[in-house]
Amino acid sequence: MKNSFDEKILDEAKDWIKANQKVVLATVIQTWGSSPRQVGSRMIVNEKGDFSGSVSGGCVESAVVSECLSLIKDNKPCKKIEFKVSNESAWEVGLACGGEIAVYIEQIH
Amino acid sequence: MKIKTLEEILKKKSSKTEFAILTNLENGDSEIYLPGTSPKGEFSKYAEEIENFFKSKKNGVIENSEIFVETYIKPIKVIIVGAVHIAQYLVDFAKSLNFEISIIDPRGYFASEQRFPDIKVINKWPKEAFEEIETNSNTALIALTHDPKIDDPALQFALKNKFYYIGALGSKKTHENRCQRLSEAGFTNDEINSIHGPIGIKLGGKSAPEIALSIIAQLVSETYKK
Repeated sequence: MKNSFDEKILDEAKDWIKANQKVVLATVIQTWGSSPRQVGSRMIVNEKGDFSGSVSGGCVESAVVSECLSLIKDNKPCKKIEFKVSNESAWEVGLACGGEIAVYIEQIH
Repeated sequence: MKIKTLEEILKKKSSKTEFAILTNLENGDSEIYLPGTSPKGEFSKYAEEIENFFKSKKNGVIENSEIFVETYIKPIKVIIVGAVHIAQYLVDFAKSLNFEISIIDPRGYFASEQRFPDIKVINKWPKEAFEEIETNSNTALIALTHDPKIDDPALQFALKNKFYYIGALGSKKTHENRCQRLSEAGFTNDEINSIHGPIGIKLGGKSAPEIALSIIAQLVSETYKK
């Protein structure tokens, strides 16, 4: 049996929006191999780069924050990002644990 | 995601309604889905897959599509008998872990709202209190008064209604006496042995927050065994 372990990130998103902040929601949508956070794990990022919650054990959060900031800057609604262990893209971040994750980021508007 | 959708999600969560969030990863559209209903618009052709995600209580992307499904299920109900010091720490842990807590204690000076803000506290004897709570085999009981006249009726109710976790505070001696009483009341050895007593994992600590931690650790572990 699983419980609905809810990390209250969406509640926090509402508080940030109430405080007139721009909020991007990041959600783990797929995982392969051993990845630190399960599908459905969330974090939120505001226009200043403040963040709450997590999508990995600290491995890719900084990259997710900068992607979220670009999303706000370019005023795009959403984007899917994949992180692999041997990621040769510009990120130079990957998961030390050898897993792979896909993170979906979207503006709350 | 629209702010309106976010607000609706929070409303559904606080009313403990089961639902799913459907997201089209290509265009960012999202919608709330209630089990048993037909998904709307662009999501309608995935009705069967969405319902399957719901049944298996899983989150994920539907195969060969760009549709993400995230399901929200009801939190597990935990009933604490005894509005004692340990219960105050249990409530704190349970909040982070999203268990839904109700507290039963017929003793008015323990069961005060001031000691347990935001928690359903039923200031009645267990027999009457259980009439106010819907329970099933996904319910857990934590008995903390170690007073037979309060704990025993609750333990008997939990055994009869097949709660998935039943724990009772008290020393080995207290627990032996408790088992004896339950046996005299007609419960089988298997039923009696299913009670975790003395309650909690062996942590070593004796303070109220440490005992609460050992209880909550056992509860989480038993939840995953089920």
